[in-house]
Amino acid sequence: MGKARKPVQIIILFVILLLGGYAIGSSVFGGDGKPKEGGKAPSFELLGLDGQTHTLNEYKGKSVVLNFWGSWCAPCVKEMPALQAQWEKWKDQGVVVVGVNVGEDQMTVENFVKLVDINFPVVMDSGRDAVRSYGVSPLPTTFFINAKGRVDSIHIGQLDLGTLDDQIRKLVEP
Amino acid sequence: MTDKRPLITNTKCECGHQNPVGTVLCEACGKPVDGEEQLSADNLEMRYDGVARRSQRVNPGVIDLVWNFFSSVKIAIYLIVLTLLGSMLGTVFPQESTFLNIDASTYYQETYGTAGEIYYKLGLSHTYESWWFVTLLVLIGASLVICSLDRVLPLYKALTRQKIRKHRQFLTRQKVVLVTELQDEPEAWVARLVKPLQKKGYRVRTEGGALLAEKHRFSRWGPYVIHIGLIIFLLAVLARGLPGLNMDQHLAFQQGEAVRIPDTTYYLKNEKFTVEFYTEEEMPKEFRGTKILPKLYETKAILYECTADCTDPSKEPKLAEVARHNIQVNSPLSYNGLKAYQFDYDLTPVLRSVQPELTNSESGKVYGKFKLDMKNPQRTFQAGPYTLELKEKYMDFGLNDEGQPVSKSPYPNAPAFLFLIRGPDLPAGGQQYFYFPKQVDKEKFQMEAINDKLGGSGRFLELEVGSMSDVDFSESTAYLNIRVDRAMPFVWIGAGIVMLGLVLGFYWQHRRIWLAIDQGELVLGGHTNKNWFGFRREIVSILAKADLTVDEKSLDNGGGLA
Repeated sequence: MGKARKPVQIIILFVILLLGGYAIGSSVFGGDGKPKEGGKAPSFELLGLDGQTHTLNEYKGKSVVLNFWGSWCAPCVKEMPALQAQWEKWKDQGVVVVGVNVGEDQMTVENFVKLVDINFPVVMDSGRDAVRSYGVSPLPTTFFINAKGRVDSIHIGQLDLGTLDDQIRKLVEP
Repeated sequence: MTDKRPLITNTKCECGHQNPVGTVLCEACGKPVDGEEQLSADNLEMRYDGVARRSQRVNPGVIDLVWNFFSSVKIAIYLIVLTLLGSMLGTVFPQESTFLNIDASTYYQETYGTAGEIYYKLGLSHTYESWWFVTLLVLIGASLVICSLDRVLPLYKALTRQKIRKHRQFLTRQKVVLVTELQDEPEAWVARLVKPLQKKGYRVRTEGGALLAEKHRFSRWGPYVIHIGLIIFLLAVLARGLPGLNMDQHLAFQQGEAVRIPDTTYYLKNEKFTVEFYTEEEMPKEFRGTKILPKLYETKAILYECTADCTDPSKEPKLAEVARHNIQVNSPLSYNGLKAYQFDYDLTPVLRSVQPELTNSESGKVYGKFKLDMKNPQRTFQAGPYTLELKEKYMDFGLNDEGQPVSKSPYPNAPAFLFLIRGPDLPAGGQQYFYFPKQVDKEKFQMEAINDKLGGSGRFLELEVGSMSDVDFSESTAYLNIRVDRAMPFVWIGAGIVMLGLVLGFYWQHRRIWLAIDQGELVLGGHTNKNWFGFRREIVSILAKADLTVDEKSLDNGGGLA
């Protein structure tokens, strides 16, 4: 038994701790890879109606209200005026409302935006990539993302003006 | 600080060897170290050749205590039993991961009642990913590594540093013992034994009138080889959680469209999907007329790799074909670790585009034809003197509560298009025209009536599709299971090493014979780990070569082993 015995023991225990910690940690916090309240919001890279590519990163430092919608989904249509109203109210206070259209083509989205008269940024998730990474299943689903890029809360279903206002207030004044 | 523990000073053997704490049998001569044990006449405990395990120390520190915890076989057995019980819990109801599309929070309750609800709430619907199960696996892994190291190194040292001449007590307390008179000259007699022993595969070392013969020592490493295999296995399973190493998803591939496989740079195109059924003649009598049996599911697939503009959604990705395969059941497309298995299909045709003609319904004159895509269509079309501007597009036409036209889904089930037509003989602001490409929708939604209302009684323009060749639709959708499992080779390697270790340990036995002749007396001791019967036979046959006849049974020194 050489003098290396103790360091070797420590190294082995350390490696076990590292690997074990990783394994247990990923089973506790990893979950199914979908964002949870308090977790980091996944990045996305989607084409906007303005023809530019938009990412979550470009809204860094701002609170983001990320709303997944489709023109065929009635509650999505109904909540649009509330989103527009809150966008107008909060946009000067570091809040941005981003609409993510799920799987429709540009014409449908353009017509819809004109019809419901909204002017917050709208991006198109034609390949449903963001839907997958955000784990969205029913529409509408709205993610409230704080300035640090963490999901503050997730709202599934139609939003009304009041809840929307409360949620945004929570984002801005934590 | 040592005075609370019994002072163990008597670890020095009478042969002069200083043994470490925890030694059972002197490392040099094999005499029991413990005073009480020296007075006993029972068989010796030969585990790890009586050497001290690494964890046996006088003053264990924190590190040693942790080390000792994991080095205990008792703890390892508890861990294994707990893991077995835990795994059993995961088999009560199907795990969440076995379903494709369920809402687990309601599924278990609806399907299995209260028991299911409790099962789900306890988190047992994903037992094998739960923190406590993973913790048990990690603890077993730690135990495997530390148990092995704690034993294999001292054992290796003990076996490589064996002394030939052992203490008389070491020999007479083995399970195979022979003590007999021998008048021959010791060295010469021992020398006569060497050849027959070697013939049986023993490695023989002699020292005066003493001899040590040993064979198949490697079988002692079997258990440790198994442990190495298990550790690789566990690490491989653990590594599956790393990004990019494991993927298992089910994707829909509509015919003719290259679909991106998420989290990869690959695109897959379903060129054509075929399903064939057995004909009546091909089926056995009892199935005819009652059963429909599929004969073939085949997706002609092309795999592309994106070479440029892959992530920028404002640009079309550039694709290069990398593989092509006719995917059938059990014959997946396989490329670079990525596998695409046939999983399901849907033969509902999906409309992609139509090429309607603008005609004059009164004169029958055709003004022109244009291509109308369902997805991302052109916005304006020219047909003869007429300009058609596409104003609205509904993929799944319907009316909402307020009676306004809406799309009920994003899928082209009942596509409808609203055009504004401008040109000769039309009002200055143009004329609106609703177009339903599908015949069934034309009737269902009364296209004619709508257009009469929009265009008034004097309208004379119609959009019509001339022939089926002007309709483009995807005939099928193939559902493929896309899998990547880069950790799998390591799982197999681990399993292979486990097998090797099992073979080493099972099919060979480590056999040792010690022998010493002193003052006209031959003392022989033998040790093996199994098949004592065969071992005694071998000794008898070898001794016979040196003209020493021994009764096989007389070699048995008890110990309850055959």
